Amino acid sequence: MEAQQQQAIAQFFAEKTGADSAQLVSANLLSGGAIQENWLLSVELNGGSHAGQLDCVLRSDAASAVSASHSRAQEFALLQAAFAVGVTVPEPLWLGSKTVFGRAFFVMRKAAGTAAGYRIVKDVGLGGDKEKLAERMGEEMARLHSIKPPRADLDFLKLPAQAPALQSVSEFRHFLDQHHTAFPALEWAIRWLEKNAPATAELVLCHRDWRTGNYMVDAHGLTAVLDWEFAGWSDRLDDIGWFCARCWRFGQFDKEAGGIGSRAALYRGYERVYGKPLDADAVFYWEVHAHVRWAIIALQQGERHVSGREPSLELALTAHIVPELELELLRMTGVQHA
Amino acid sequence: MRENPTGAELLAIAREVLRKELLPLLPKDKQYDALMIANAMGIAERQLQTGDAPARAEAAELAALLRQQGDLASLNQRLAQGIRAGAFDHDLTAQDLLWRITVQRVRESAPRALDAYTGK
Repeated sequence: MEAQQQQAIAQFFAEKTGADSAQLVSANLLSGGAIQENWLLSVELNGGSHAGQLDCVLRSDAASAVSASHSRAQEFALLQAAFAVGVTVPEPLWLGSKTVFGRAFFVMRKAAGTAAGYRIVKDVGLGGDKEKLAERMGEEMARLHSIKPPRADLDFLKLPAQAPALQSVSEFRHFLDQHHTAFPALEWAIRWLEKNAPATAELVLCHRDWRTGNYMVDAHGLTAVLDWEFAGWSDRLDDIGWFCARCWRFGQFDKEAGGIGSRAALYRGYERVYGKPLDADAVFYWEVHAHVRWAIIALQQGERHVSGREPSLELALTAHIVPELELELLRMTGVQHA
Repeated sequence: MRENPTGAELLAIAREVLRKELLPLLPKDKQYDALMIANAMGIAERQLQTGDAPARAEAAELAALLRQQGDLASLNQRLAQGIRAGAFDHDLTAQDLLWRITVQRVRESAPRALDAYTGK
């Protein structure tokens, strides 16, 4: 980080907290953000609302930012909304303007722990009691789903023009129509989604990427739900189905709640906060939906490599996940080898 | 006449050296890269082993099902269009073909995933 930026950031913290002075002790760029940049900051604050050492993350657009789904200001509003209803997210602290850092940004409190899915599902020392963790996931999800439109602070989220399930069917087909290769098995599953689409009684705020790998845990349990860039108005079962889908269990297929615990534990936690039973049959629909959606995303990621825009072994291999997702989709929708 | 060992055989032995001899020596943060390389080599190896025979058989079966000629890509396109229009909703022959085509692709891209579907 440039010296001028460091000074501006220190000044920003002093203003926001009312500290007499602020010193930026360290600033380290975290890896893995092509669209956003995340800086781990340690700030020493003398006096004010956050006196002492404050460890936090500054999230800004990357220097060469391409258009992202949500702006930093929108992401900050989502975090605030989730935080306000008691979802465990990195506490959103302050929204900053371009004049301070050269790019839009916000600051959130640092969350401790690890998010690596394949470790969380296997390591008994991570996440505490895993059944309790699954139950907690349900409670947290139900809290998020207490947020309903209309919301002035979230008016940037578009309301789906039709039932969320059918909206997805249109979007999946739209993608496949402009893709260079046909995927008959995916088409089969999308046809099934169309024929079996449920009505959505009530739109709620869904995270839409809430799965193992996208939350952090320490030795005791959940520390933060991350990656809010896909959040939007949808069916509450959209999140439940995505979390439970076989493709997000990191090989622990018998643990139907995200590879960490039982489905019963997840539902129990959810229903405790929701106050009503979940429609378990309808969850299956959204698990089929989850596999199709992940397959489409995997194709899009693979295409970034295939097109030559972004050569990457990881992206290239992601394309090769699609066949196994398709096979599971065929099984789920009743197609079997005669 | 090409030299032996074949490309597939070279990939197989190279992959074994990578996994057994190099991987344990790599720092932890690079091991995932090595596993990805081994995975990519495995896919290439299986594609070479398989050759073009399944693709030719697939094209022939699709042509028979759709009662039209064409290359594999355009036949797949026609199948996809038909499925979307509901033309194969109750067609067990088409569904059986779809299953076998998909199994063949999984066999190349992620063979271990097939374990869960054996006996079908």
